[in-house]
Amino acid sequence: MPDTNITVSRTHRAALIGCLIGLCVVAVAPFTLDIYLTNILIRTLLLAAVVMTVDILWGYTGILTFGQSAFFGIGAYACGLVFTHYGFGPGWAFAALAIALGVAAIVAAATGWLAFFHGSSPIYASIITLALPIVLTQVIYSGGSFTGSSSGLSGFPTYFWDLKVWFWIAGGFLVLTTTAGWLLVRSDFGRVLIAIRENEDRSAYLGIPVSRIKTILMVFAAMVASAAGFAYAAFSNVVAPELVGFQLGTELLIWTALGGRATLLGPVFAAIGIDTMSSWLSGAMPFLWKLLTGVGFVVVIVALPRGLAPLLTALWHRFWPKSNSMFTEVKITQAPASRMLRASFGDTPPLRIEHLSRRYGSLKVLSDVNLVGHGTELLGVIGPNGAGKTTLMRCISDGKERTDGSIHINNVEIGRCSPQRVVGLGVGRSFQNTSLFDTLTVAECLKLARYRLDGAKLFDRVDTVALPQPALDILKATGLDQKLSNETRNLSHGMKRGLELAMVLATEPSVLLLDEPTAGLTRPERMAIGEVLTRLTRDFGLCIILIEHDLDFVRAISNRVVVLHQGAILMEGTVEEVVASDLVKAVYAGHHEEEVA
Amino acid sequence: MNLINLLFGIGVGVSLGASAYAADPIKIGIPVGLSGANSVVAPSVVQASELAVEEINSKGGVLGRSLQLEIADDGSGAQGAQRAYDSLVFQKEVDGIVAMETTAARNAGLPIVNRGRVPLIYTSFYEGRSCSPWMYINAWVPEQQVAPIVDQFMSEYDAKKFFLIGSDYAFGRGMLNFTREYVESKGGTVVGESYLPIDGSDWTAIISQLRSANPDALITSTSGGAPNVTLTRQLRAAGVTIPYGNYAVDEGTAKSMGEDAEGIYIAASYISSIDTPENKKFLEAVEKKFGDDAKTPNELSVPQYEAIYAYAAAVEKAGSTNPVDVIDALGEVTVDGPRGAITMDKQHHAALTMYLGRVTGDGSVEVVRSFENVDPGEQCPQFAN
Amino acid sequence: MGSVTFDVLTTAAILFVVSTGLMVILGVMKLLNFAHGAFLTTGGYVAYMAGLAGVSPWLSIPLASILGFLFGLVVERIVIRPLYQRPLDAILATWGLGIVISQVFALTFGRGVQFAPSPLSGTVDFLGVEYSAYRLAIAAIAILLAFALIGLLSLTRFGLNARAVIVNEDLARGLGIDSTKVRSLTFGLGAGLACAAGALITPLLSVDPNMGLPWLVNSFMLVLVSGVSFPSLLFASLVLGGTQVLVSTYVSPILGGMTIVVLAALILRLNPKGFSRA
Repeated sequence: MPDTNITVSRTHRAALIGCLIGLCVVAVAPFTLDIYLTNILIRTLLLAAVVMTVDILWGYTGILTFGQSAFFGIGAYACGLVFTHYGFGPGWAFAALAIALGVAAIVAAATGWLAFFHGSSPIYASIITLALPIVLTQVIYSGGSFTGSSSGLSGFPTYFWDLKVWFWIAGGFLVLTTTAGWLLVRSDFGRVLIAIRENEDRSAYLGIPVSRIKTILMVFAAMVASAAGFAYAAFSNVVAPELVGFQLGTELLIWTALGGRATLLGPVFAAIGIDTMSSWLSGAMPFLWKLLTGVGFVVVIVALPRGLAPLLTALWHRFWPKSNSMFTEVKITQAPASRMLRASFGDTPPLRIEHLSRRYGSLKVLSDVNLVGHGTELLGVIGPNGAGKTTLMRCISDGKERTDGSIHINNVEIGRCSPQRVVGLGVGRSFQNTSLFDTLTVAECLKLARYRLDGAKLFDRVDTVALPQPALDILKATGLDQKLSNETRNLSHGMKRGLELAMVLATEPSVLLLDEPTAGLTRPERMAIGEVLTRLTRDFGLCIILIEHDLDFVRAISNRVVVLHQGAILMEGTVEEVVASDLVKAVYAGHHEEEVA
Repeated sequence: MNLINLLFGIGVGVSLGASAYAADPIKIGIPVGLSGANSVVAPSVVQASELAVEEINSKGGVLGRSLQLEIADDGSGAQGAQRAYDSLVFQKEVDGIVAMETTAARNAGLPIVNRGRVPLIYTSFYEGRSCSPWMYINAWVPEQQVAPIVDQFMSEYDAKKFFLIGSDYAFGRGMLNFTREYVESKGGTVVGESYLPIDGSDWTAIISQLRSANPDALITSTSGGAPNVTLTRQLRAAGVTIPYGNYAVDEGTAKSMGEDAEGIYIAASYISSIDTPENKKFLEAVEKKFGDDAKTPNELSVPQYEAIYAYAAAVEKAGSTNPVDVIDALGEVTVDGPRGAITMDKQHHAALTMYLGRVTGDGSVEVVRSFENVDPGEQCPQFAN
Repeated sequence: MGSVTFDVLTTAAILFVVSTGLMVILGVMKLLNFAHGAFLTTGGYVAYMAGLAGVSPWLSIPLASILGFLFGLVVERIVIRPLYQRPLDAILATWGLGIVISQVFALTFGRGVQFAPSPLSGTVDFLGVEYSAYRLAIAAIAILLAFALIGLLSLTRFGLNARAVIVNEDLARGLGIDSTKVRSLTFGLGAGLACAAGALITPLLSVDPNMGLPWLVNSFMLVLVSGVSFPSLLFASLVLGGTQVLVSTYVSPILGGMTIVVLAALILRLNPKGFSRA
């Protein structure tokens, strides 16, 4: 195993080198460019920084935002309004910048509150980001002589520094923010962002506060865009409503798409290239140029979803083969087991369900379910298809699901909590169909599962991930500990199930909800999982709720069985009692094919 | 690479050869909205500029130098205008700029003009009070436009109660604010003033307000294009027949609207039916040069045509293209063009002869009255002489 | 007061007509069609061309729907089909398509404003109120359209298949429904409805390459609020459109312009299901 310290610092070293090269280019460039190009580039470099934030939001995190221009415009207007109406000088400039950042942050937080909540659809969030610049533009138009309405504000006092100085400011800003962005997306936190993009629901059920992360990200992206807008206005001495408008917002998206989303540098260079080029070409053929950008955009989205950057990097790698794997080797260590044992052996049962019911319109899926799950108990839930088993799981893990009744986890009522909060109370849930994060490696998935407990480095990667004993056991049993750097999409089905279970256990639950954990597994794999589950209840005091069709498997490991039928508990007892019951036989009469192992 | 060098060499050779027997041309920059909101009117403005330059050059140019146009698209907005002005001022290094633009584009260009010290003539009517030592304006401002229509309504139709409708942007609000003041100063009242967002075209609610306010006359100042024509159509569909003055309609639009436009009053410094020899000559020249492609001259293209003459006259008077001298001369020279004799000596603005027109049934505009040399009023007191 | 009531009803009718095409596509294909505005514009130009050719203005509406349907089929095949698995990319692709369509119109017809003839002009006296005849006609057409669409969905084979795809696409495919065909027809239907709506509202407005754009965001909001159901779209148009008219009339038309967006966003924040009852 190579020394991991070197690999980690390699990311930082690459960032440092890239940053220094960038700064050198910025320092030298104005001496070689003519006035015209310098002028054009100063504005373009600032816009490129905004495009970079769009790529982080959309390319990496999956938030399709049309509204990043709104924050750019807020920064610009903060500058224009303060310098026009209130005063000018270093103190005023700092005050205006503070206002720019503050207002952008507040508006972004409000937008995040509107757009991101558990259950909001990505399309809805996109429309909110589209509405933001439209509403803001209207506000500016209605501002009369204060905002300058459609004419904008112009000719306010500003720093008429030499063009070189402005170029250095704009270029330095771009290089530094991009370096920070580059480190962010390559950090452990960056993996969390990708996880949200790939499978938002699953992230929530690992206890990752998806909505909060999105909102916070939006706030910081807004502040970067606002700072860029501030500099833009201070340099160009003009603010106008179009700086806020959604036309600019969509242009930012188009540049990101053309440059290659989730490549960070691709969009930045695309922004610089296309914006500069359009200064030349749009004059010659204004409509045709717009038509061509439109066609190019559609073609790229349909045929080259990753944009032009991957083509270039592929070419690069042909001449300059990759010397080393991108993936960091990760060591697994053992997390202190104390948390896992919390409360599970005490007097209060970890899970208490009272009068739970769930209706969809007039359809009753669950009615008046009462159930207590004790520590060290493995509770099998059986019942024919449509009996409400999966709905039961959903109600336990998401406070918004149930229509009536109460659920206590470790003696805390879950109320209307979102899944990530319920995970925090001690519920771990695995899904019926393995839902994982395709492009992440096994180690990254495990780190993700530890996000709630251990957090994630913002600008760095750690080379260890601490897991509780049971998760380690699973990894060993399935051989995953040898495949930590593999991308999960390349794993076998059995390994995927094992990884999912390990991830759920890594969140250190005291109540574990398993929805058919052995479906599609081979017999030896089943036995291995069964042993782990038994050990989990015995040694670590977990309460496991298990949905299973395979009665043999249930018989082998359960302490107690609950039979659900048509949304109600039909009977409860030991496996033997249940199997012997005529009632259950009658219910299962039509469902024999599913019981076959 | 070699080929490109070779081509460059040829290009340089040719241009050097040309300058051997004629001094370098005087470059005039034309930033104009080839795309965006102004793109409808832009072709006529470009034609007017080309015509003026051709006429001047055919008479031997200015100070023995020919004029040359540099046209740049400003996208009808601030961002595009900055690019256009950067390109004209710093790349093409023009000697002067003649600009028919939106207010946002003009505002965006002014800092660059100030930095580059280039004389600018702004040729679009606007809401007034834009002042820069480097800018002159030869088109109308509210002070010149409002009075003819309001006076006509008050005297001819005995109108006391006015209703004002506009698009919510600087020009719309600026014009109607002035109108309100003027109406009230003449003893009338404004019974309603309503705005729709700039691209809004559903005037239903405002028309309902209008009907319940029951005014004697209506004056509108919307953004051009769709909002303006939809307002007119919806007014007609709602059966509104009171005297109707429209600040945004031009002859071309009136013609395309057909009978819906009948009876609309407009006030303008140029109407193509002005009966003067200069105007006739101008219309013939447009026809001759562009033939079937000729765009109808209008309130925006004619000031552009005259402004190029004004710049040429100022250079002639100053004896060079030195910007400071040209700026001084611009306030003194008089151009005798299709709109009559015009001097930009009123605080960088110009007194204009205004025409009150009325759209007839076939969509043409008949001149009802004219008002000689209407003063632009106090636009930029700092430039008072 | 009477005319305000009519304003509310006719505005709601226009909003409903303009949004149906969007909703059909969103419902069946789970795709928000950002080219919707451009389809409305296309309908406007069809009406304009029909006017030039001397075709009766009433005929231009069905004509627009047929052309829109065919156009929709082509677009679906080329642009939409490769993007079924990437709904957010489909948004962007349709957005790009919208830019392309509007630029093609700008290059062909110029950026200027054109007019389509109105089949009805002037006002009529209806229930004691003198009101724009064509707006009343639109209201009547909207009601007919609502019945026709509900009928299409509940009575025809296509409707049955479409509803099956709406509820559970995988299951529908398992039952032997050709979901590709359903999607294709749906997109055609949505585009046809949008074009017809464009032709229908054009006599009140004017035609220019961006005429559909101002309608886009409002119809997005209406459709998101109403889920996939024509009755709730009708209801949403009435409530949100009505509020817009009232705010415009009694407070300020500028606030009125933002009413639908702001109200819909808040409704969806507080109840993500909006007006739909599922």
